[in-house]
Amino acid sequence: MAVLPLSTSAVEALVLGLATGPVCLASCGPVVLPWMLVQPRGVRGHARQMSLFLAARLVGYLVFAAAIWFAGIALSRSWSGRSWLFGGVQVLLAAGLLIYAAGWPRARCSIARPRQELVQIGGASVDAARPRATGALVLGFLTGINLCPPFLVAGVQAAGLPSLAQALLFFAIFFAGTAVWFMPFVSLGVVRRTSSFITVARMAAALLACWYGFTGASLLIEKAIYG
Amino acid sequence: MRAQVKTVLAYVGAAVTLAIAVCVPFVLMGTFSKAVAHAGLHVDASYTGGAIAAAVTHGAYQTVVYQPVWPRALQQMDPFVQITFRPVAALPRRVLEAIDLDGDGQPDVRVSFTVPPDPRSRPSGEVVALNAKYAGFGMPGSRSSFSQLMVQSNGAVVVRVPLKEAGTLR
Amino acid sequence: MASSAARTRPPAFRSVGRSILLTVPVAMWALLMFAPTFRAPGRNHHLGASAVIVFMTTLFFLMMRTGKTYRWRRYFFVALGFLFPVGFIASLVAVRGSMSIPIERMVSGDTPFCYMVIPLLIIPAALARTLIFPGSILPTASNPHSIAVMIGLWLAMTLVLGKAWCSYGCFFGGIEEGFAAASKHAKIRKLDARLRLVPWAILLFVVVLSAALFEPVYCMWLCPFKAVTEYPAVHSVETAIQMGIFIALFAALVIVLPFLTKKRTQCAYFCPFGAFQSLFNRINLFEIRFDRDKCVDCTLCQTACPTMALSVESIREGGTLLNCMKCGACVDSCKKGAAVWHLKGTKVALKPERARLLFLYGAWAMATLFGGSILASSIATVIGFLPLR
Repeated sequence: MAVLPLSTSAVEALVLGLATGPVCLASCGPVVLPWMLVQPRGVRGHARQMSLFLAARLVGYLVFAAAIWFAGIALSRSWSGRSWLFGGVQVLLAAGLLIYAAGWPRARCSIARPRQELVQIGGASVDAARPRATGALVLGFLTGINLCPPFLVAGVQAAGLPSLAQALLFFAIFFAGTAVWFMPFVSLGVVRRTSSFITVARMAAALLACWYGFTGASLLIEKAIYG
Repeated sequence: MRAQVKTVLAYVGAAVTLAIAVCVPFVLMGTFSKAVAHAGLHVDASYTGGAIAAAVTHGAYQTVVYQPVWPRALQQMDPFVQITFRPVAALPRRVLEAIDLDGDGQPDVRVSFTVPPDPRSRPSGEVVALNAKYAGFGMPGSRSSFSQLMVQSNGAVVVRVPLKEAGTLR
Repeated sequence: MASSAARTRPPAFRSVGRSILLTVPVAMWALLMFAPTFRAPGRNHHLGASAVIVFMTTLFFLMMRTGKTYRWRRYFFVALGFLFPVGFIASLVAVRGSMSIPIERMVSGDTPFCYMVIPLLIIPAALARTLIFPGSILPTASNPHSIAVMIGLWLAMTLVLGKAWCSYGCFFGGIEEGFAAASKHAKIRKLDARLRLVPWAILLFVVVLSAALFEPVYCMWLCPFKAVTEYPAVHSVETAIQMGIFIALFAALVIVLPFLTKKRTQCAYFCPFGAFQSLFNRINLFEIRFDRDKCVDCTLCQTACPTMALSVESIREGGTLLNCMKCGACVDSCKKGAAVWHLKGTKVALKPERARLLFLYGAWAMATLFGGSILASSIATVIGFLPLR
């Protein structure tokens, strides 16, 4: 990429983020949706959790931007290290989702073990303790370094910038563009939580964990066998 | 009074439901189907091949080049360009064509295949890339996928040529 | 012995004359539905249509005569479940020579549309105006079961049936209902009530993932009925794994578990379309209620329910869970007459038979229209196989 004025790069990063946001949503949505549904009701709580998630995601972006800038890697689908990283991150995401699916940490969350008899969809709401920040931070960071297509496009652009600061700024602005698309998830906070609702979200998280685990493991195995 | 109104409304609703049931095969099914058909929806380009970009007539048959199809969201496929040769009945037994896929006037791939007499059989042939943007392949031998195939379908020979993604994603 | 049986036989619910009178509209509807079949040539199709007219009319008469719904509906439903794959597979083999869908058929939009995909289409259609299914929108000569036709039919029938689609419309549920009926007693009686939330989780999972991957994830990876309909041709490790999943799910959820539990386990514990269809129970006027003055909490109804749509709490509250598909098993099993058909907005147990009749006329009309035509075509296919002149 040719060296461009900073303002041009900033606009480009923002437009790229906004334009590719739906793909980011498709990439991170399967993680964010069940995780958010497991959270206790309340828009404020959801906003806080989403902020933590996005902050951790930004850290993931910046770490990766710095790494590729130093390494000078022109990212592409054929980049040989991509499969290892992508597969590894997917397996870690699967582990993260499984932890949520299993209802950990129980000590802080009274809704972790739904009672067997409460299975009516639309039943009474349940109270839940404040969730920990760890989950939001871990999942946010892992989705931040998950090599989704828009991330790769931004990676190529950032790798060609003349200074590390510019590369980081490019990724930060790109991140801001994509983050807009995550705001609707906060509105899930108004949905009433019942024991059944949370059980469904946990089961969905477990299924998605299986899918991430399967695709991640497939990538790693394929890479190990075929190189 | 309120209970009576509710009861009357309930029976009216039940009568409407029955009327709807009677209308299903004569009116409703067709109306809903037309509504779906005219909703401006389209089948995903990974199945249909996308929009037509150019068509060249060679005597009795036509070679149609489609616009490139890119994966959407996290779709698990490589980008490709579809080419169709139709109708199969008018094709010579052996087809050999150099085709311009990107509209720059230069041939990008050379497609060659033999048309089998059985409409359910696959043609045997190959695609040779003349432009580094495209990936060549041979059939049979290469694994068929939505991004890379050479088949007979709907009275045409359909060829899909994968796009290489050197350097960047798109 | 015979005289003792005659003495203990319960009185008929309705006289023969009144039952015939109530059955006349159904017979006329069936004749009307199959009139085009008789106008076209084809002896086997005429025989199939005739058989279905007699079958559907007789079953409705027996419903009227005995007052039982589930018992007679089950014959239709099981016949549909077992005959649909026969007709479908036969047509696939005739056209393609195999049950697998080769990639060229997908590319040409020749995959028959299945209503199971409908929930998966919503998000990509809404956001990108794209249908993530390898079919055609309008019917073609090679694919009459196009996307628009099948969605139109489903939408119209759903307005009438709501979740009752799962007992009067679905051509898959009958297979497991048949295996459940084959077992005399349930070998597994204790089932975790949370399992009935699994279909909702699978619905969430497949809807989110289909939107992300832009492909019908349920059809590609999870549909048990692929084992008896059609499936992507096996040509790689991935497609082999998919085929293994289809067969394992079909064997477990449609054959073994229904036999062991006497429940429709696939419908109750797996089917995401069933969960989606449950949402339409909210707008449907017909439901099952419990007259708390008569109910003795014996839970016979809960045991009889094939899809676990009753819980102790719901019965105490006088209703069913959201996933009730109005098959009538609970009403048939209740010895105290506490489980009743109900029209929303009216007083519970005031005129339950009127509510049942109003529901059944609509439901049976849809069953004859959709399931009946599938049955007729499958019977015609079977007759075609017989060495008859």
